[in-house]
Amino acid sequence: MAVAKTALEDLLALEPGRVTGLVGHPGFGLTRLGLTLLASRASLGPVAYLDVRGWLSPPAAWESGIPPERLIVVRCDDPVVWGQVAANLLEGVKAVYAEVPGGAKPEQLRRLGALARSRQTPLVLRPVKGDLPSGLAHLRVEARRVEWEGADAGHGRLRRRRMVFEASGKAMRGAARLIELEDDGTDTLRLVPGLAAAPARRAAG
Amino acid sequence: MVAVDNLAAAAGVRIGMRRREAEAVCPAVMTLVSDPGAETARFEPVAQAIEEIVPRIEVMAPGLVFAPVTGAVRYYGGERSLAERVAKEVEAVAGPGFLMGLAAGPFAAQRAAEQATSEAPLHLVEDDAAFLASLDVATLGREDLASVFHWLGITTLGELSELPRAAVVSRFGPDGLAAHRTALGEDRATSARVIPADLAVEERFSPPLESIEQAAFVARALAHRLLEALADEGAAPHRVEVAAEAADGEVRSRTWRSADPFDESSLAERVRWQLRAWLDRARLRSGPGIRGGLVRLRITPADLSDEGRQLALHEDARSAAEADRALVQTQAIVGSDGVLQAQPQGGRDPAERVAWHRWGEEAPAPVRDPRAPWPGRLPSPSPALAPPDPVRLEVEWDGGMPTRVRLGSRWVEVLSWAGPWRKVGRWWEGEGPADRYQIVTSAGAFLCEEREGATWMTGVYD
Repeated sequence: MAVAKTALEDLLALEPGRVTGLVGHPGFGLTRLGLTLLASRASLGPVAYLDVRGWLSPPAAWESGIPPERLIVVRCDDPVVWGQVAANLLEGVKAVYAEVPGGAKPEQLRRLGALARSRQTPLVLRPVKGDLPSGLAHLRVEARRVEWEGADAGHGRLRRRRMVFEASGKAMRGAARLIELEDDGTDTLRLVPGLAAAPARRAAG
Repeated sequence: MVAVDNLAAAAGVRIGMRRREAEAVCPAVMTLVSDPGAETARFEPVAQAIEEIVPRIEVMAPGLVFAPVTGAVRYYGGERSLAERVAKEVEAVAGPGFLMGLAAGPFAAQRAAEQATSEAPLHLVEDDAAFLASLDVATLGREDLASVFHWLGITTLGELSELPRAAVVSRFGPDGLAAHRTALGEDRATSARVIPADLAVEERFSPPLESIEQAAFVARALAHRLLEALADEGAAPHRVEVAAEAADGEVRSRTWRSADPFDESSLAERVRWQLRAWLDRARLRSGPGIRGGLVRLRITPADLSDEGRQLALHEDARSAAEADRALVQTQAIVGSDGVLQAQPQGGRDPAERVAWHRWGEEAPAPVRDPRAPWPGRLPSPSPALAPPDPVRLEVEWDGGMPTRVRLGSRWVEVLSWAGPWRKVGRWWEGEGPADRYQIVTSAGAFLCEEREGATWMTGVYD
């Protein structure tokens, strides 16, 4: 277990002052991944989740390893003040996970990236709709696939899932890699060994 | 149960009971969630009534007041006549049901009040040393210490006080020292500190502040300033005087005390409660308050000790101060209801399992016990997203089995599903039964509820 976790941290980790972008529709496990990344910084102090839709369910954060007293949830659905709120949080907490509202402007996001760099605070951006401006994220993670186990035609219950993400950006040294993770609801996302590989279309190109 | 009224007490409900136990002994009991701010507002007339008789009272918590009575005892000609006078005034504003303890120190006085009964509401301690010696070590309020003392055969404060102080400190550290001092009735004393000339912090407002939201923001900022200044001196306050000047020029003040030194959060909380009490009373015209709004707020520290907050090894004071400042500024933008923290509580659905509270406020006690079994609760993994209100979901059913789900403009096939799990619902609140399902599609898994012929999405396993 520890080996798998170390391997995951080698591949996907929050770095001080770097922007991580999580791109994809809800349902593919990106929030869970973001919370797990946030949990790695919660031992240092409070971490913030900027909740645009008001949908965050804290039990998932606790299961991901964030202690309740270390999680600050800020609700803000106003795109006008959203940037200011995110900037404030970057000034004080140990890591910020910010949902990006539809109306956020690219230059606003770039300013946040610069502030994160100057404050050495990791910033996770999760657009509610669409994508992030290109080149903004040091690590860009895009959801590809999710497969659940445990439920079957009315029997059982959801027990674990395998999530496939495509990681790209400077953190991946320019190459895109497919990463498969297993999530069973505990505080460790396990890297499925041997499946981190360059996607075929990139290799062909 | 942290408090019960006379009717509930007559029906057998007792402080310390769980909600379920209280409902078992009295099915008609109405339970309310504790709201210290509202309790302070309700308690303010009582504090004022006592203050009319005994000046310089200190509020410890809503419902608990310490009053230094040495001068008043002389003035009213004895402890019993003073107590009768206080009882008469308090009864006039709050009715019967309060208890009083009179002793040389606050710890003994509080324990004496706890031992008073509605038949004998005044417990007068004649011999403090003997009274303290008879108390169980559990009354120190430290379960961890008390269990070790019990294990060592030390069951009363008298036995604890007979131990050499150096030995207690050597074995139990600062907590042991505090316990030993309390056992000897020295809880009033704090380490003497030279208080710099004027460490009070003050803010003036033009136009006057009238909303509790604004006042709460100012309270936190002032608490931050005060404690930062005191931290430079290596000190922390056990007692603060909160003084507020109303637009009509009247100044009101109240002293709050704490057994442990105030930190920023607890101090801001007390100031906010007090301001709410004064503002509410003025707004409702139910008594003297801050009329026309607040034009000046001043916090003056007293009883400084060198027991300032000790940060853990991995914490540093600068980071903690930066986080507090950032979150206070965020509160100023989104309002105090927009910066939240969550605590686990019991429940079956993801939303039920969360007790939200504003950042900076004390977490309320959970309404439902999170350690209880909660049959029917879905085990982990939990949905990472749960809409505040269920979202209508279009599902196609075939023979009682879901086959397709509409997500946005497209229909996606159901790959697998689990359930239904029947949820009875709060029928006494008009809530009907529902069937819960976990539905898996190629676009992810969803937690759904089917009730009254419609399907609602209550969680997304994102």
